[in-house]
Amino acid sequence: MSTVLEQIEQQIAKLSNKAVKKNTGNIRAIADGVAKLDGLSDVMYNEMVQFPGGAVGIALNLEEDEVGCVILGDVSQLKEGDEVQTTGRLLSVPVGKALLGRVVDALGRPVDGKGPIDSQVFYPVEKIAPGIIVRKSVSQPLFTGIMAIDSMIPIGRGQRELIIGDRTTGKTTVVIDTIINQAKINRVGLASGDPKFRPVYSIYVAVGQKNSNIVRTIAALEAAGALEYTTVVAAPAADNPANQYIAPYAGAAMGEWFMENGMDALIVYDDLSKHAVAYRQISLVLKRPSGREAYPGDVFYLHSRLLERAARLDGKGSLTALPIVETLAGDVSAYIPTNIISITDGQIFLETDLFNQGIRPAVNVGLSVSRVGSAAQLKATKQVGGKLKGELAQFRELAAFAQFGADLDAKTKAQLDRGSRIVELFKQPQLNPLPIELQVAVLWAMQKNYFDPIDVKKIVDAADKLKTFFTTRKDALLVKIRTRAALDAEIEAELKAACDEWKATYAA
Amino acid sequence: MATHQKQAQQFARRLFKLSLAGGLVSPELVAGVLEYVEKHQPANPAMVLKAYHRLIATELAKGRALVEHAGSLGDPVLRSIATVMTQKYHRPIAAVARPNPALIAGLRVRVGDDIYEASVASQLATLAASV
Repeated sequence: MSTVLEQIEQQIAKLSNKAVKKNTGNIRAIADGVAKLDGLSDVMYNEMVQFPGGAVGIALNLEEDEVGCVILGDVSQLKEGDEVQTTGRLLSVPVGKALLGRVVDALGRPVDGKGPIDSQVFYPVEKIAPGIIVRKSVSQPLFTGIMAIDSMIPIGRGQRELIIGDRTTGKTTVVIDTIINQAKINRVGLASGDPKFRPVYSIYVAVGQKNSNIVRTIAALEAAGALEYTTVVAAPAADNPANQYIAPYAGAAMGEWFMENGMDALIVYDDLSKHAVAYRQISLVLKRPSGREAYPGDVFYLHSRLLERAARLDGKGSLTALPIVETLAGDVSAYIPTNIISITDGQIFLETDLFNQGIRPAVNVGLSVSRVGSAAQLKATKQVGGKLKGELAQFRELAAFAQFGADLDAKTKAQLDRGSRIVELFKQPQLNPLPIELQVAVLWAMQKNYFDPIDVKKIVDAADKLKTFFTTRKDALLVKIRTRAALDAEIEAELKAACDEWKATYAA
Repeated sequence: MATHQKQAQQFARRLFKLSLAGGLVSPELVAGVLEYVEKHQPANPAMVLKAYHRLIATELAKGRALVEHAGSLGDPVLRSIATVMTQKYHRPIAAVARPNPALIAGLRVRVGDDIYEASVASQLATLAASV
């Protein structure tokens, strides 16, 4: 009992006897998650404002007679006349490794029922992106585990690569596979004890998604053992638009902690189309002037300031961003998609037609690009995958002729066959990312024509068997490829021996 | 509706500026403004007058220090609060006392939108929030 009394006395002693100054206002009107406030003469733009009952808001409209404030939290208890105070602080969220394995809301509060988050560090949600001098060129690869992407549209740590496509084309699947692959690589790398190994921590920001989709995603990450390296920031469709607006910035703040503390992080924004819609709703309720498609005039700045926070810093870490944008009817020339295409360092375009044809992941290699390119690719991948994009481009051109049933010469037929086999080879089931060394081995086998005698329809089965063969019987070779990261004469000889051995045993 | 409201606010702001003499609200000028509004009946008079009322009330609140206290409060303390606030805000401020037993002890001084909390009730509320 005396300890309890001592604790209370310590708390009382901490309280200052000085008068505390607060700047206050009153709610004049409240509707649609936005409050119009009288007073608050000292409030600053983007300042956090405290409402009664624990709700917080952000001052977004500073007008002559009133302050327009978006409210993050429960608005049902608020009414006209309630007193509101400034806090003198920007909105901040908890950051750090304590968030790994947790599901939080847009304010960093846990929603997974696993108890409070033990984090002492808070980063502001809105922050100016790193300048030019502190940045470093992107040169370290970030492996998605998806062969079509790692070989032809390579992503580097610190890059922003947009994933764009219509609904149900596999955009979320691509990012989930990437997150799972990072977890797999982390486990292997940390177990190896290599001091130079840098794990990649992931942040998945769900904006405007259905709760059932978010739950399914979390379950997939948990089943793959990826959740322990991942933080999920959830702002579902049922959340108010202010939470959906803030969530990507909160996620970016969490990623910046890793970046500024010498670690690498990956952040996924799923998706920025819904983020733009939430911002449009807030802006219209705040009576801001609307522009094209009723979006406010600063909708470009909404995304540019978010995505510019992803970078590779000199002497520190990196933050790689994979924003997702949903198109309608494949229209990549719409307003929001073109905005984000111009901001990012490349895009992966997923097509509905390819998806329906069974080509999954449905990556349109012709329209997809990575502006970082082979600078972020292992030498081994460059050696086996360097010509693939060109071969596929030739295949697509020739395929147009083939469908008219024209007489084809032997060379054209060979190119068509090869192209068909490459397309089949790139088919990959979801939630099954491939290690980069295995991708290199399979692509090497393709380049050395080991798949040519096999019927096109059986390529998927053959590739599966080759992968199983390498993982179960040639693990030492795969480790060699992974550690040397380049194909020298010795490795090529071993690959040849292995593929010959597999070919002898493979029955099509 | 939004346009009418905006126009009414702009008009009310102009009337408010006309009500100031030397940066302070002048009762004579306010009476003159009200007479004008009654005589000339601008568009949306109710909206205009409500906005005008809000502007005048805000301005008057800036010239008054509302001192809420629990227990007794002497005139010297009131005068000293008025002097300090006048120096701080660079305008004449009159201190007005209002008893408020809910404070338990201490003072709360409100000048315009600023509140200076030095009451036991607010310290207990801070303590409760931190525990």
